Amino acid sequence: MSDSDLAAAVSERDETALEAIYRQHGGAVKTVARRVLNDDALADDVVQDVFVTLWRAPERYDASRGSLRTFLLTVAHRRAVDVVRSEVARSPREEKSPPPETVVDLDSEFWQRTQSALVRQAVADLGDDERKAISLAYFGGLTYIEVARELGEPEGTVKSRIRSGMRKLADVLGDVAS
Amino acid sequence: MNDHRWAESVALYALDALEGQELAEFEEHLETCEACPAELDDYRAVASRLVRDETASNETWERIQATIRADSPDVTAQPGPPTSRWGWVAVAAALALLLGGLLGWQLATTGDPGSENIVTAAENAATSQDSIVADFLVEDVAVAQVVLTADGKGYVIPTDDLTGLDADRTYQLWVINTAEDVISAGVLGAQPEPATFTWTGDVAGFALTREVAGGVVSSAGDVVSVITDL
Repeated sequence: MSDSDLAAAVSERDETALEAIYRQHGGAVKTVARRVLNDDALADDVVQDVFVTLWRAPERYDASRGSLRTFLLTVAHRRAVDVVRSEVARSPREEKSPPPETVVDLDSEFWQRTQSALVRQAVADLGDDERKAISLAYFGGLTYIEVARELGEPEGTVKSRIRSGMRKLADVLGDVAS
Repeated sequence: MNDHRWAESVALYALDALEGQELAEFEEHLETCEACPAELDDYRAVASRLVRDETASNETWERIQATIRADSPDVTAQPGPPTSRWGWVAVAAALALLLGGLLGWQLATTGDPGSENIVTAAENAATSQDSIVADFLVEDVAVAQVVLTADGKGYVIPTDDLTGLDADRTYQLWVINTAEDVISAGVLGAQPEPATFTWTGDVAGFALTREVAGGVVSSAGDVVSVITDL
């Protein structure tokens, strides 16, 4: 079934359609939530929240704007970031966060082994500074100001690097990005 | 290619790397811009490619399944969008905040600033035209006031009419955003004192509930008051 068909089935309260979506994308949703939150139990809460929300409001998914996977990961990332952006949540999270070098997922051996060759190459072609800035922002759940602080770079420089890196990735992966 | 002055903001927004005033300004711009939404979709699709897949756990699916099966028929029978945001919020309150939140944290109530300073800070913040100021009401009696500044500093000031709870219970504050998500902003404890919190996202309302001590991920439904008329 297409993404649109699955979303339509969920709209008609087809639980098997929701389960199919979960089986297909739930793992990736968990991955992004866990990376941002650095907490397995909290990540499970985000996964549950994302799919329950899809069940209750499937009309939020607009197939003309992208794939169901992209939609779910966008929602999951936002939810996870909302959690860590709470001032009272931030201190405990920082205390237990891994050091910056392990936060930079796109350089990790595990990431290199598990991604497709096309994505791997596109990321490898980025400058180190672009890759680190994107990784800290996306997988670290940091604002660009926090990324700048983490890297010891001017905020404007980090903004430019994130934008140029994302533009390069979009140019390479654009037609096949799912 | 989006070359106008928002070009960098699109990429940052796609990665959720904006917050505060910059986030608010870009979201306002996004509502009218013709170029940015398409570029945003590109970047979000790219970001989704960076995430590796793993096997989705059966345990989490069982939790999801249990939750959706527990939904009220009144909710599940209405798959379309809510006709009124405020109507939905009212339903959400009545249905014990079914969407749930993500986590409760102890709101800052001690240290710097102390309770007295928190009250003063809240009073000062409330004078700003850009601040949200609203009361949690129980039978038309204010039990707490919530103040949220434009830059995301929040204050909860309980009144004497907010009764204390047993030690194994806590009051918990929830933010309802414009996407109708209900997200925990923190716990207030059993004997609430003036407290601060931070919320930099959009806001459509607030809810105050009674929960087990320590706070909960999803409300058990003991709703004290809901604010929807911001």
